[in-house]
Amino acid sequence: MHIPDGYLSPATCMVFGAVMIPIWAAASRAVNNTLSARQVPYLAIGAAFSFVIMMFNVPIPGGSSGHAVGGVLVAILLGPWAACIAVTVALVIQALLFGDGGITAIGANCFNMAFVLPFVGYYVYKFISSGSPSGSRRRIIAAGAGAYAGICAAALFAGIEFGLQPLLYHTANGQALYCPYGLNVAVPAMLLGHLVFIGWVEVIVTALAVKYLQKQGAVFFEGGRS
Amino acid sequence: MSNPLHKKHDFIERSILSALAFLKDATLSEEYANRKGFLQSLDPRFKTISFLAFLVTAVSLKSAILISPLYVLCLILALLSRIPLRNFLLRTLFFIPLFSLFIVLPTLFSVVTPGEPLWSFHISGINAIITRPGLDGAVLFVLRVATSVSLVVLLSVTTRHSELLKVLRLFGVPQLFVLTVSMCYRYLYLFATMVENIFTAVKSRVGVVSHQRHGQNVVAWNIANTWNRTTQMSEEVYMAMLSRGYTGEPRLLSKFNATPKDWLWLLSAVVICAFLLYKGYSL
Repeated sequence: MHIPDGYLSPATCMVFGAVMIPIWAAASRAVNNTLSARQVPYLAIGAAFSFVIMMFNVPIPGGSSGHAVGGVLVAILLGPWAACIAVTVALVIQALLFGDGGITAIGANCFNMAFVLPFVGYYVYKFISSGSPSGSRRRIIAAGAGAYAGICAAALFAGIEFGLQPLLYHTANGQALYCPYGLNVAVPAMLLGHLVFIGWVEVIVTALAVKYLQKQGAVFFEGGRS
Repeated sequence: MSNPLHKKHDFIERSILSALAFLKDATLSEEYANRKGFLQSLDPRFKTISFLAFLVTAVSLKSAILISPLYVLCLILALLSRIPLRNFLLRTLFFIPLFSLFIVLPTLFSVVTPGEPLWSFHISGINAIITRPGLDGAVLFVLRVATSVSLVVLLSVTTRHSELLKVLRLFGVPQLFVLTVSMCYRYLYLFATMVENIFTAVKSRVGVVSHQRHGQNVVAWNIANTWNRTTQMSEEVYMAMLSRGYTGEPRLLSKFNATPKDWLWLLSAVVICAFLLYKGYSL
């Protein structure tokens, strides 16, 4: 899911960077309204938590294992705007310090994983769990469905971003200058892996974590102060 | 001799190894940043601006011939900065560029990229033709990705992470965000150790083999447990910040000092980028 440098054209990177600026501004305002001065330690530790979720290998059928992104779980716990900032912070650290995900592609990566993923996931969760008590089984199902929808929506956007490159940026003889596969290849390739494999890792992690948090009496984000 | 069944179900071991690899990687990076080399001697602000200029140039160029000097520059800078070339090549070529090479392979052939045939051969009775546009496109793509990854790795391993994060202020990133990033980085180390301890405790109780379903429950329980500890910790950290006079307006200390060497380096970087971009434009 992390797009490296060199896969997207500079123009695409600039467009997504420009799209993310008002989103980050709105996220800062929303978080400031709910958390005020507490936001720095809360978001820093939330971001570290979302980073750490990626370190857990989840065993899946066949003896293999994979790791989750955890963006929807963070959105269920902190709210989608705070999750947007927390995942952005995690992505900036990954790109700048560990070379995971491109620096020029940071806008696109944040759009997919810090905006599309937590927002789609959170609103699917909210729609399914609407009106249910915080300890209900419906919340677990809603968390799993939200996680699946969020990661697949993010993969769809990443596929579209890859697929647009050869259409928009090529030489006179048709040679692709950036990601070489069009929408007909990039979108199914990105979606298939997430629909069949990665999406289920996300479902397992999010649903089971919500189940355990319910048992421990954790308070989930309900739209106001978390 | 290791039991394949153990290997198959050993998700705990794999998680611990990932955590340790992550920790070691971070530590190793700081190790290079503390060495006395050329890039380490530069002001982090000038170094970051110059590397971003190189990165934007590498991503903007549309010719492998023009990108290759930037890749050679990376290798020279790695040597001048006392980074063992073998380690640098392993770190920069092994994962992302190798993966890029793998995904770009089908574009070499005429089925995906039609054009002037360069080389043809038979695989299981099928005539495979590698075309010139296919080869040119693949070389350009992989070289650009390898150069970009090399530039980012060089910047991150030769700069102390705390300084690199402070440089974000240069680009108009709000102070609050920079402080959040810096704090997050410090907690990563603590959390990674916490995860490692949790898994060591689990391993000491359940052994190596664990059923897949049980394994999933262990992971989910640990994530939930980590969350509970993080919320507790955020309250404690906030109280500690208040007790030290935090008012909601963060202040970052920066002690960057630019020397003529830094200005000369920046000027050289700008000249190199401008020259390559001009050449790329006139091609």
